[in-house]
Amino acid sequence: MPDNWSFVLAAYGLAALVLGGYWRRLLRLERELVARERRRGATRDEPRPTPTSPGPPIPRR
Amino acid sequence: MTSRERALGWLAGLGLTAGLVMAFGVAPREATQGNVQRIMYLHVPAILVAYLAFGVVLVASVIYLWGRAAGADRLAHASAEVGVVFTGINIATGAIWGKPTWGTWWTWDARLTSVSIMFVIYLGYLLLRAMIEDRERAARFAAVLGIVAALDIPLVHFSVYWWRTLHQPPTLLRPGSPPMDPTFVLALMVNLVAFVLLYGYFTAKRVRLLRQEEEVFA
Repeated sequence: MPDNWSFVLAAYGLAALVLGGYWRRLLRLERELVARERRRGATRDEPRPTPTSPGPPIPRR
Repeated sequence: MTSRERALGWLAGLGLTAGLVMAFGVAPREATQGNVQRIMYLHVPAILVAYLAFGVVLVASVIYLWGRAAGADRLAHASAEVGVVFTGINIATGAIWGKPTWGTWWTWDARLTSVSIMFVIYLGYLLLRAMIEDRERAARFAAVLGIVAALDIPLVHFSVYWWRTLHQPPTLLRPGSPPMDPTFVLALMVNLVAFVLLYGYFTAKRVRLLRQEEEVFA
């Protein structure tokens, strides 16, 4: 039987693509979550606006 | 990334390198099929790891339904996802191996059909999880499906005994010693260990990301 190396290469190449693709997906997800967490942390640390003073009492007529 | 995860990743990388060396450098050329038989070192470990992954889904689903442990639900989710990846590799490499040896990419043989059904069931499992917004409800429904879906695993494995099939009987998971030269068995075992390590790495990483997702979107 011929060796059919092209089929062997196709099988191993495809497996490498699928596993590499899944790994990259996990890495991308990890990066996105870290960025989102950082954004959340940044908004939490921002100084909150102080309540404005009510101003002088309005004279009653 | 935790140190355990990093160690698993490195071990998996080393294992895969060793597996490639065994498959292409140590294992001899098979007498009947020629070098195309080397696809076996990829095809067989992929399905065995898929069995392992779906077995973990079954156990984690039972634990979740028993005590509503969120960790068990995350493990089931991650393991199902990784199991689907390995099942996909098994089906694709099987088709590539089938063309030169059987003369066809695909046939509705009992083994091929039952594996495809298993693939679709677990894809459905992931879809179900994604479709339900309420996390607790999604986990509960998925756990029930994770238990029912596991019924297909023995069907896949024993299909070659129960029906007349073009696919050969199991090579490793069978009573008695494997009907192969020890060098072939060793190459297969090294690749199996590498795939199990890779499964462990992917699953550990996915479980951690699922936990992080829950915290971020809480």
